[in-house]
Amino acid sequence: MSKTEISRRSLLQAVTVGVVAVSGGTALNMAVPGTAEALVRKLPGSWDETWDVIVVGSGFAGLSAAAEAAAAGAKTLILEKMPTYGGNSIINGGVFAAWDDKWHYREKLNLGTDSPEQHWQDILKGGDYYSIPELAKAVADGAADALEWVVEDGGAELRPTVTRAGGHTAYRTHAAKSGVGREYTEALRKIAEKHGVKPTLNSQVTWIWRADADPKSPVLGLEVKRGKKVVNLRATKAVILASGGFSQNVEMRSAHNPRLTDEYNCTNHKGATGEIHKYAQAVGADTLQMNFIQLYPYAEPETGLLDAQAVYPFNGPGYGILYVTKQGKRFVNELERRDVVAYAQINLGKDAKPTWSIFNEAMVLPMGGAQEEIDEGLKRGRFIKAETIPELAEKCKIPSDALVDTVNKYIQYHKDGKDPEFNKPITPAMISLEKGPFYAIAQWPAVHFCMGGLRANASAQVIDIFGTPIPKLYAAGEVVGGIHGSNRLGSNAIPSCIVFGRTAGRNAAKESAA
Amino acid sequence: MMRIGLSFIISAFFCLGIAALPQRASAAPTAADPCVACHTDLSKVLPQNHKPVKGTGFSSCTKCHATGESGEAEVNAFSTKVHLAHFAQKQTIECTACHSYVAGKSFGLIGQSHSWGAPTDSDFAAMKEDFASWAGSAFTDNLHAKASVDCAGCHGKAMTSADASVDNQRCLTCHGPLQKLVDKTRNAEFPKRNPHSSHLGDDIACTTCHHAHAAAAVYCADCHKLWKMPIMGTGK
Repeated sequence: MSKTEISRRSLLQAVTVGVVAVSGGTALNMAVPGTAEALVRKLPGSWDETWDVIVVGSGFAGLSAAAEAAAAGAKTLILEKMPTYGGNSIINGGVFAAWDDKWHYREKLNLGTDSPEQHWQDILKGGDYYSIPELAKAVADGAADALEWVVEDGGAELRPTVTRAGGHTAYRTHAAKSGVGREYTEALRKIAEKHGVKPTLNSQVTWIWRADADPKSPVLGLEVKRGKKVVNLRATKAVILASGGFSQNVEMRSAHNPRLTDEYNCTNHKGATGEIHKYAQAVGADTLQMNFIQLYPYAEPETGLLDAQAVYPFNGPGYGILYVTKQGKRFVNELERRDVVAYAQINLGKDAKPTWSIFNEAMVLPMGGAQEEIDEGLKRGRFIKAETIPELAEKCKIPSDALVDTVNKYIQYHKDGKDPEFNKPITPAMISLEKGPFYAIAQWPAVHFCMGGLRANASAQVIDIFGTPIPKLYAAGEVVGGIHGSNRLGSNAIPSCIVFGRTAGRNAAKESAA
Repeated sequence: MMRIGLSFIISAFFCLGIAALPQRASAAPTAADPCVACHTDLSKVLPQNHKPVKGTGFSSCTKCHATGESGEAEVNAFSTKVHLAHFAQKQTIECTACHSYVAGKSFGLIGQSHSWGAPTDSDFAAMKEDFASWAGSAFTDNLHAKASVDCAGCHGKAMTSADASVDNQRCLTCHGPLQKLVDKTRNAEFPKRNPHSSHLGDDIACTTCHHAHAAAAVYCADCHKLWKMPIMGTGK
């Protein structure tokens, strides 16, 4: 045990002893000395409201947790600090990895085999084996059931195909009919409402109440700012943190990963600022892998927006999409993971912005595209369309000879079933770039997802800095660290949020109300 | 919305509604009438061309000016005028010049026994702040003041608290139906680019962008940084 650990432990014990000695009690507080949070805080003398379960956040994880807790009979409240519900989830790209679905699209489209085991192994490998294996396994095991739940109970609709996304070894990525995560947030909201729970908006958590760091000391409730009012809410069964990541907090993200300064755009909604991580730490929660922060390689170059069109480059590799630099050269194996594709672009240098994805008409529907999105994208200049490659090159201001050469080689690689340049594994599902019309879309990495976060176990309990679950404190969704290791594979966010949300909600409801 | 005889909103907040009760309307002003303490002759403060008024107290006004006691979403020129006249131009006048207030217990009108709510000190402080904004800001609240919509017009008959918000249905009573707003902001070239038909859900709160007591701001522009959409009440 290091010196620091000893001193921290004695500090915590001192606090505990102090609380016993002084009845009435001050709240445990590990905030930075000198900050407002570090003032001696008295536990609330009375509570403004009492609930069984309080969920912080109204995205995939929070809605799933609340729906399950309420279904199990718990009087449940969802707190959302923003004026709109859904956080990043409602603006998410709507891709959902699951080895099976009620229609068995993969089997019907003859796209090979898959299993929860294979999905699990992909998560582990895709995150360089930094994932906590039991957490990754829970996601892979629960994904198909989670998909079934939002479709059957929530009315979510899917496009009739599955794609093979970067880092996945199988065609298991489903696309929402609406092309965005709202498909599932609306479904989850509907399920939660069936059990009488609706998100309470404009409610910002400003503290987590816990008396001390005794392993048996439970989380008691939350301090919440609503409009100009501060209220204290008691949670008799549990508090579930489903507050998302911290990609929009430049100071916090660059403190853990110094490269990620404000030079980078961000795909997230502006509320993804990570203060809940700090409040949880301040009552003893452990964190892990906070420096693993993902860039989305295909965001709109100027604003960092992840619009419906920005999902095409992600969905395309399994069907033969091509990535090129603005000089018309390939720079990466298109089937690579997000981190590899993002840093392959960044390593080209700042002047390399943007790079391009190139695909043809025949790929659109198989890769989960929709004509309406194509038309809208063309109209606002997100997609560029041409009948021939030289014409496309001219419109994108890419040197024509270089692009023609690259495309010709690429076609040949697909014919040969071999990619000598970047070793992309060629599959029969990949469509040749021989025939037009052709499309191009500009792309550049933007900060997207925090793989690191609070330490939790497979029961969704938050673990303290000494390795013990903090009683009555659960976490689900992006706020949980260690599920995806160093790199989350695209389309694994939704299943992991829903799976952990459901686990947290069910377990929270089982707690005794005291 | 159902009309209930005794409604306090305005009274509660603006103190004018009380005399609308028939028995009150006919009651003689008490010695502690909110008006007579300063205005011994009410006729001196009447607008030009106002009909002559008998009596001197507040109830002389409320015989005719029933002041939105039902909490309906509607204009209330009398309440607006009286409040603006006392507050906007002479900010030294405290609410308690006319209102009786005991923190956490009651809020009424001097000389009257009714209480219309039990605001805490923090609720009361927030009300004062928002009221000052309504009377003199360049935000959405003042646009409503200029259109003779007082607090009750938006907040209804319940007293506002420091965490109050306004439901869409309330806004739509005057500004709706929603389709009218959707049509108004339709972008012919890009139909999806319509703040009143948002991808954040059909039930997105009006107050997401149209903050009443703070600068209005187009929420879309937080992400869609290149879009330029005008909005009223930005404070500029």
